Amino acid sequence: MSHDMHRYLTDPFQEITELGDGLFRLNIGPQHPISGQGRFLVITDGEIVYDIEVDIGYSHRGIEKILEYKNYVQAVVPLERMVMLDTSNILMGFVRAVEDLYGVEPPPRAKYIRTIINELNRISSHLYALGLFAESAGWNPAIFIWTTADREPILDLLEMITGARWSHSFFIPGGVRADLPRGIKERILNTMDYLEKRFEVYEDAWIYNETFRLRTEGVGVLPRDKAIEWGAAGPSLRASGVAYDTRKNEPYSAYPELDFKIVTHTAGDSYARGWVRFEEMKVSVDIIRQAIENMPEGPVKKTLPPRPVKQEALARAETGRGEINFYIYTEGRDKPYRVKISPASFRNFFVIEQLPKIQEIKLADVPPMIYSFDPWFLDADR
Amino acid sequence: MNPQELLNQLKERFGEENIQEARVENKRLFFKVPYEKAHEVALFLKENGFDMPITMGGTDFPKKNVIEIFYGIWSSVHDFVVMMKFDISREEPKFKTFIEIWPGVHNFERETWELLGVEVEGHPRLKLLLLPDDWSFEEEGYPLRKDFNPSRYKRPWGDEE
Repeated sequence: MSHDMHRYLTDPFQEITELGDGLFRLNIGPQHPISGQGRFLVITDGEIVYDIEVDIGYSHRGIEKILEYKNYVQAVVPLERMVMLDTSNILMGFVRAVEDLYGVEPPPRAKYIRTIINELNRISSHLYALGLFAESAGWNPAIFIWTTADREPILDLLEMITGARWSHSFFIPGGVRADLPRGIKERILNTMDYLEKRFEVYEDAWIYNETFRLRTEGVGVLPRDKAIEWGAAGPSLRASGVAYDTRKNEPYSAYPELDFKIVTHTAGDSYARGWVRFEEMKVSVDIIRQAIENMPEGPVKKTLPPRPVKQEALARAETGRGEINFYIYTEGRDKPYRVKISPASFRNFFVIEQLPKIQEIKLADVPPMIYSFDPWFLDADR
Repeated sequence: MNPQELLNQLKERFGEENIQEARVENKRLFFKVPYEKAHEVALFLKENGFDMPITMGGTDFPKKNVIEIFYGIWSSVHDFVVMMKFDISREEPKFKTFIEIWPGVHNFERETWELLGVEVEGHPRLKLLLLPDDWSFEEEGYPLRKDFNPSRYKRPWGDEE
């Protein structure tokens, strides 16, 4: 096996390199305002993007390997480091897989608490994503500050429920760590009213604004068949007209008992992906209201039996960025033998790489196109 | 089509002896095929609507002296997941790529190549994805193999005793 294959670039960190035939390679990241903790190598032919290569792995921590040395409760902590914005949704996939292995069904009240925390996290993750999306499209920088400020009441709620703003470590296999504190329901409902008012402001200022639409419509169109073939995940998949949402297709927690719709769009462009995220936040607000109304009483956790009843499990869950799935193989000990995590961003980065091959993308359209996918390098790197 | 019906079709087409360790669950079908049959089965799955790869990887079994490769494919038509698995030898770990059948497995196969040390024949871009650029397979090995020892890596600020 040739191990020198990775030495593909003579000078990988030069900012602009001439490749000949009028092609230039532009190095975006890892120290660049739009890149995140990774790097995009954009090969341009004049103003047109010829090819994009995504270089991930700058924050690879080997979480899959670490999990082989942790038991199922200890595993919660390293796992949350995948996406700090969206910890509970990431954890949901793992917790589902372990509960499947042990044949445990969490108590009904725990399911409702999980649903509320998942949806709060989803709104906070989508707000952050939409702020970055607006910023990358060159929209008024105030939008990112608005969305960041509107995440605060949600983080406050999460702090009241779980004790931490981001890495809650609140879900454990078999339930949740604690019951809801007193008086939290009114507070959640008040926050939901506040968010709905803010969504109206967003619509006027930005989402349905003609200039913003001109900037992002028709940029980076992902057709339905290609979205499926390349394995796009989450809002990117739904914006291309595929009605897949793990909360609906493979319902978990309290989702089967609640009434909500899958948000889809048929255009498949950057605007559609942003729009799907925005509409999903409204759906999440609705889900939280229903969950609070129908919340049953009872215990919030169960203990796991000493031995798993199955050898392997594949569980899926819907995170803010799309579906995450966990394949766990165990030999019956308290630690997993192998955990395979396939996160949404890992799949979406591949889609970003392929897009310039099927259409003409201008260099100036690259940042909004990338951020419409809401990629998260730490998610993809594990 | 539900998982049980697909399992029956697979057994009918490829023979009872080639579809091993089959297990049907809610929206899941797990099964194992001999490596020689894997590409045929994959094509059959693709033709029957299993079009979207959602996971792919491998598990190292030093005791059995095999590496088990698995492909998880969701169907946008039938809405369930098939996990197709096959064993390859641990001494000479290699298999032919599935990119022609499912283009979305591109990066998953790259990752399996570097983390498990499996040669993916016919893959157009086998270069490091997650590991650092100066990683040496000869000295440090493949991280997801069971004989890889992570304790040789110390924390930069020193380990607590």
